[in-house]
Amino acid sequence: MRALLTLAWCSAWNRRATLSLVLLSVALSTFLLLGFEQVRTDVRENFSQSVSGTDLVVGARTGSVQLMLYSVFRVGSATNNIRMSSVEAIAKHRAVAWVVPLSLGDSHKGYAVLGTTAEYFNRFLYGDREPLVFAQGRAFDDGIEGLYGAVLGAEVADALGYRLGSKLMLTHGAGGLPGAEHADKPFTVVGILKRTGTPVDRTVHISLQSMEAIHIDWVGGAPMRGVSIAPEQARKFDLTPKVVTAALVGLKGRAAVFNVQRFVADYAEEPLMAVLPGVALDELWDVVGVGEKALIGMSAMVGVVSLAGLVAVVMAGLNERRRELAVLRAVGAAPRHVLMLLAGEGLLVTLLGALLGMLATGLFIVLAAPWAQAHFGINLKLSVPSQAQWGLFAAVVAAGAVASLIPAWRAYRLSLADGLSPRV
Amino acid sequence: MIEAQDLRFAWPTTWGRGKPADCIAIDRLTIAAGRTVFLHGPSGGGKSTLLGLLAGVLLPRTGSISLLGTRWSDLSGARRDAFRADHLGYIFQQFNLLPYLSVLDNVLLPCRFSALRRERATQDGGSPGAAACDLLRRVGLAEELWARPAAQLSVGQQQRVAAARALIGRPEVVIADEPTSALDAALRDSFMDLLLDACRASGSTLVFVSHDERLAARFDERLSLSAINRPASSETAEGMS
Amino acid sequence: MLSRSWLKWSTVWALSLGIAVGVGAGTAGAVTTSASQPIGGTGVSKPTANGVFREIKWDDLVPKDWDPMKEFKSINFSLMNDSDPRANEMLKRMRETWDNAPTNNDMEGASVRIPGYLVPLEDTKAGLKEFLLVPYFGACIHSPPPPANQIIYVKADKPPKGFHSMDTVWVSGTLKTLRSDSYMGASGYRMDAVVVEPYIEPK
Repeated sequence: MRALLTLAWCSAWNRRATLSLVLLSVALSTFLLLGFEQVRTDVRENFSQSVSGTDLVVGARTGSVQLMLYSVFRVGSATNNIRMSSVEAIAKHRAVAWVVPLSLGDSHKGYAVLGTTAEYFNRFLYGDREPLVFAQGRAFDDGIEGLYGAVLGAEVADALGYRLGSKLMLTHGAGGLPGAEHADKPFTVVGILKRTGTPVDRTVHISLQSMEAIHIDWVGGAPMRGVSIAPEQARKFDLTPKVVTAALVGLKGRAAVFNVQRFVADYAEEPLMAVLPGVALDELWDVVGVGEKALIGMSAMVGVVSLAGLVAVVMAGLNERRRELAVLRAVGAAPRHVLMLLAGEGLLVTLLGALLGMLATGLFIVLAAPWAQAHFGINLKLSVPSQAQWGLFAAVVAAGAVASLIPAWRAYRLSLADGLSPRV
Repeated sequence: MIEAQDLRFAWPTTWGRGKPADCIAIDRLTIAAGRTVFLHGPSGGGKSTLLGLLAGVLLPRTGSISLLGTRWSDLSGARRDAFRADHLGYIFQQFNLLPYLSVLDNVLLPCRFSALRRERATQDGGSPGAAACDLLRRVGLAEELWARPAAQLSVGQQQRVAAARALIGRPEVVIADEPTSALDAALRDSFMDLLLDACRASGSTLVFVSHDERLAARFDERLSLSAINRPASSETAEGMS
Repeated sequence: MLSRSWLKWSTVWALSLGIAVGVGAGTAGAVTTSASQPIGGTGVSKPTANGVFREIKWDDLVPKDWDPMKEFKSINFSLMNDSDPRANEMLKRMRETWDNAPTNNDMEGASVRIPGYLVPLEDTKAGLKEFLLVPYFGACIHSPPPPANQIIYVKADKPPKGFHSMDTVWVSGTLKTLRSDSYMGASGYRMDAVVVEPYIEPK
């Protein structure tokens, strides 16, 4: 067996010029399959780790997936706001333990700005019920005392080089035009959070009152001409928030979730909806799953094409190798040894190609991880291949083994017919 | 050593056009052990077919051909290959070697396929590798060439390596199919010498096939294929005998 | 020796093919049904390492003497006009009764096995740590929420992976009734699950 394997290796190495192209294509298809699987699992994990310990997310009546996307993942925008009075009514429900309102819409240099209460830093959990931890500083205070104080997520602080005490200006909406800045009311960094690997890292947190204050002299998305209220003067106004974007709700007992959800859905004063984060995420995966299947299918097609190339290359070279096969027969090889030799060559090429593809996946993750983190907030982790990835690897190798049998069989028949005198 | 009796063989015709004509029809052929035999045959006269039958790669339609007392047709396909590996060395006219293996590995090939020859080689030289080196020395191949890939050698050098390979492990029979036809006169003579010497030294039977009658002088026996073989075409010409 | 290596080679081929097929089939996941009706059981007990889990039905979670329709039996609905506000009022009271449904105290500490639909609550890296088990499909929007004694809040020792919202599952574990009169008037059920497995339609 070892002898045949050595022969197969030497033979393949001899024809490495043509076989290396096939090897590269097998490597590419393995890279696509494994790489895609990695990205898919990491993205799913990122999303499901983004929120924990929250029983319901309440917002205006849109789709459950959309509500989750904009309120928790900071993707997309809200269709409508909800009244603070509705949030307070929900907080009064006998099954509700706590409510944290969220106000979204502004941005800072591409990072989302979240207006919320100080309670957010106690109640918001991520991953496996892990709390937010401050790397530096502390949360802003609610009310007037905490006005113009900002808490930064880890990514914001790192990327923009902010420290405690740094000043920053927020932008209305997500635009970058100069006129949309709340330039007259700068914020001071009072706290920086530790890295979480969730959208929290890419968020600037301010109090609800601060959110009101910066919009106090704005109407309809633009500052009122001729009216300007200095930051200190803003304190004198009533800064209690009237509308918010969404609210996180925690219950006294998790089994009450359906009742509270029904309460929110039936709330007569305003059209609201409440979603269970876990269920909404599953719906998101259902939608995304179709695209995932298409991509996996395409990667599999690439695999099939590369193996077809392997078969073609080996088959094409068979005619020239008939003398070689006759020599092997003369030395005492049986036609089945010839079959094993050819099949072994194909298997070697596939195995090496798949290994190369696996290495390429690892390399890709190492190179792409910082970029993915910065641009999408997605953590790509380099780790030992998962069971699914090993399965894909095994499938590629097995498919190559089966495909190699085709030229091997042809060689078998040729050797059988030629014997010691190939008619070339 | 080699015995053929009422040997008949025909290549199958394509499109099943009636009964194929026998291209090999030999009533009797005997080659004793240890003899060097020159088998003369014109090109296209069925030489390769006969060699295929002698080596057990082809099976006769009727009749028998046996090597060392064992009939090829008695053995299954796998056993035939094993038997060939154990007892037969074969030299082609050209392209004898696997180009991607070194000279030494080429010589050692039969030992990979036959435990018997490996044992004998170990007996001869202490290890198969040592026996291979001895043989290479005997055929006069320079030592620096031994590790080179076989493709880098000249034709004359390759034929000598082929002789060494055919002889490793002292197989009982060596069949050479026109091994000198691709060599020039000087190389041919030296090759003939070393081959005959080596076969006599190991006591192997040598069946040397060629169309060049001038080489026949050095051999113990001389056979003519056209004399012993009555293919079907000549039968119909003379009438059935 | 090479002639005997034929067997070895064939084994290697068969093994590699078998492994590839096996891994592929294993990661494909198990078959589940998506019935939109309540799931029944076969009444068969299933032995596990921790002992026997008694198979129960959702009806078993309701105390025998509880009758939510008690108040309304005397009312003759045919005497009311259409859109009668009294009818809506009664519906509201019935809902409240359901919200306050009591638990069956016989079930406290019972080792049971019950089928249901899964509502994920805490999906972590390690698996689905907490979920709710409800008796019918779509206990979210389309139908009224189940009463308190028809919802089980499950925590899994070994969080299962690969379960999706509204998947049908068998859950085996120890039931506990929650003795708090805080939020829902009466209490609900909790279970520490030992085994969570997909539900397969019995033939």
